[in-house]
Amino acid sequence: MANENLQNASGQAEAEVRAKPGRKKLALGQFVIFGAFVFLFILFSVVAKNFFTMRNVLTLALQTSTVTLMGIGVTFTIITGGIDLSIGSVIALTGTIAVIAANSGMAIWLSMVMGLLTGVLCGFLNGAMITGLRIPPFIATLGMMMVARGFVLTITNAMSKPAPDAFGHLGNDTLFSFSQKFPGIGYPVFIMIAVAIIFGFILRKTRVGRYTYAIGSNEEASRLSGIKVARIKVIAYMISGFCAALAGIILASRMVTSQPNGGISYELNAIAASVIGGTSLMGGIGTVAGAVIGSFIIGVLGVGLTMSGASFFVQQIAIGLVVIGSVAIDQIRYKKK
Amino acid sequence: MAELILDVKDISKTFPGVRALDRVSFDLRKGEVHALVGENGAGKSTLMKILSGVYQPDGGTLTYKGKEVHFQSARESSEAGIGIIYQELNLVPHLTVAQNIYMGREPRTALGYLDDRKMNVDAAKILAELNVDISPAVRLNKLSISKQQMVEIAKALSKDSEVLIMDEPTSALTETEIDELFKVIHKLRSRGVGIIYISHRLEELKHIVDRITVFRDGRYISTTNYADITMEEIINKMVGRKLENMFPVRKNLPTQKKLLEVRHIVHGSILRDISFDLYEGEILGLSGLMGAGRSELARAIFGADPRDSGDIIRDGKKLDIRSPADAIRHGIAYLSENRKEEGLAVKMRIDQNVTMANLPEVSKRFGIISSAQELQATQNYVDELDIRTPSLVQVVNHLSGGNQQKVVVAKWLFRDSRILIFDEPTRGIDVGAKFAIYELIERLARKGVGVIVISSELPEILGMTDRVLVLHEGRLTATLRTKDTSQEEILNYAAGLGA
Repeated sequence: MANENLQNASGQAEAEVRAKPGRKKLALGQFVIFGAFVFLFILFSVVAKNFFTMRNVLTLALQTSTVTLMGIGVTFTIITGGIDLSIGSVIALTGTIAVIAANSGMAIWLSMVMGLLTGVLCGFLNGAMITGLRIPPFIATLGMMMVARGFVLTITNAMSKPAPDAFGHLGNDTLFSFSQKFPGIGYPVFIMIAVAIIFGFILRKTRVGRYTYAIGSNEEASRLSGIKVARIKVIAYMISGFCAALAGIILASRMVTSQPNGGISYELNAIAASVIGGTSLMGGIGTVAGAVIGSFIIGVLGVGLTMSGASFFVQQIAIGLVVIGSVAIDQIRYKKK
Repeated sequence: MAELILDVKDISKTFPGVRALDRVSFDLRKGEVHALVGENGAGKSTLMKILSGVYQPDGGTLTYKGKEVHFQSARESSEAGIGIIYQELNLVPHLTVAQNIYMGREPRTALGYLDDRKMNVDAAKILAELNVDISPAVRLNKLSISKQQMVEIAKALSKDSEVLIMDEPTSALTETEIDELFKVIHKLRSRGVGIIYISHRLEELKHIVDRITVFRDGRYISTTNYADITMEEIINKMVGRKLENMFPVRKNLPTQKKLLEVRHIVHGSILRDISFDLYEGEILGLSGLMGAGRSELARAIFGADPRDSGDIIRDGKKLDIRSPADAIRHGIAYLSENRKEEGLAVKMRIDQNVTMANLPEVSKRFGIISSAQELQATQNYVDELDIRTPSLVQVVNHLSGGNQQKVVVAKWLFRDSRILIFDEPTRGIDVGAKFAIYELIERLARKGVGVIVISSELPEILGMTDRVLVLHEGRLTATLRTKDTSQEEILNYAAGLGA
């Protein structure tokens, strides 16, 4: 009887192909999102007269760099099954700390490192609250959002202060500035590209990245597989803090002032970008490439609608609809499976 | 003889690949407690789900209060007066007792507001009838498990249930709480309620049961007056089947070399001073009833749950195991009974799951994973364990249960585990695929791995293992040589009855 069963089992299996290493396929969802981006780009090029000019495209890339950086960082936390609401405040705090440090006579690069460390520290505290005190990520980072904002407003008295001129190079200087027609590519764009490549690599190719997915996919199975869950989560929040700090310093540098009131509700744009790019708030799913494309969709919508004459309010509606629509499409596709 | 309230005739139910019920019959009289017993997979739960309207039978008739009925949903059955109390309580912990009793049928005032006062008064009346001292306004999570169970019973009675099904009602109760429950059952019986009582704990039936029916492998075996049957006869009927050739032949004998010594493991009242040895190449069975502490023992050894005291010794050295990571470092692996919840990252791919517990092995410097090495390692295990999949990068969610189990095994073999603890390794796996898992376990033992198998299926324990540990309420009641023991003996120890 057992033999019979065994034969049945192997008979069924004959229909299946023997295992072969499969080629990596780009997720269909990312094609759809990228297609949407291209579509919007072409649409606005036709509708808005000056949209498809080199100058405008470069400005778009520069402006979008902040949201992209934040989106990349927050994607790590969302993949673990968490969230980071504090990054908008962290932007203001880190940029301001860097400006204060620079104004105190510290070397510019060192002041910026100070800002970065502040961001990493905020992320570490988030992670410690979430793993050590078992506070839900939404609450822990909501608290951090308020504390960081309150702190930066307190130390600055809510006032912007100018920074030394040299502080502005990072945000305003460009490379490859050949002519009037091609004003050059801003440093922030290069930073954004470098961060996307590095963190994309970390997420896809390193143990930290793999564990990030594993925890989001099944935290208990990860723990029972010997993965140090708390450590990986803390790293994810530190990455989020680091990316937000980069964005904060770039923002402060572009304005050449500290911005204690800056970055309010930016975290929501970053989360939206990540979600548009296919990151699942349930954890376990998401990519850096998705977050980048998601940010650019938001950026293109913003710039394109402005140039088409739509108001800021209409932009909000459009972005909101895109967020809802992209997730709805994911859900419908998932259900069909 | 009291009149029949429920009459089940020739009911069948088939699931894909499994004949869960094969023309079974069962009847219930008013004011009687009728026990339904059988091993796992006997079909008890399936029949209960048919009675409560969750499943619809493929054939046969169901007669309730003299009329043939076809329940299409749990609601229909409940409205007809059949109440069911599941093993897992179905109550909302943050609501009050009265709110739980009247959930979904809250009394309202003429204006449509919730009538809390009437609800509390009504609830108090029902609770008083049961002679239990519970205030209707207290929040449910303030009550002990047994009191919560009383609330479940009150809820069923508030719907004027004439039939009450109790599925393992005592599994979470202490002895005094069980006495309380039995008092209530006696009271219900005298009021004419018919009670179907499902329990693994045969020894407790004598206090309450009028008749007893045995199911085995989805078939009806017998119905007897409880007074006319002995415990031994019941067990014989439950076991009944001869062991078929479902298991691979053991090709090695365990060595005399101790692989693991477990000493005096204590965890509250769940694990009470458990000691045993595991030898190289041995397959050691771990048997016991639900709640006896089998999985808890495994998890304590693996560091997944804390333990109060006790040592785990390998090669004469005490191991410092405080987390799964520690246990894994010492070569111990635990394959959870909840494969999908605790064993696999189901959204991830086969290769990612296989390497999950040993990524450094396929990593280069700076923690960078080598895809080539990862796929090579996965390919090796896919071949060795005969995992049927179209590709190495298949998401594990899309694999069959048997193949998923093999992926978990591959994960631990890739980690060079020397001690594998299988918790219900064949649960939810087709009969055909079970043999492949047994073969795999046998092959592991032949290689010198020490295997602990936790199983609720006694044939599996008897067919697979070299020795059996039997647990009863957190205590080790027997260590038996498999070839010298029998299902009856194991069941006796598992029920705490002694030899």
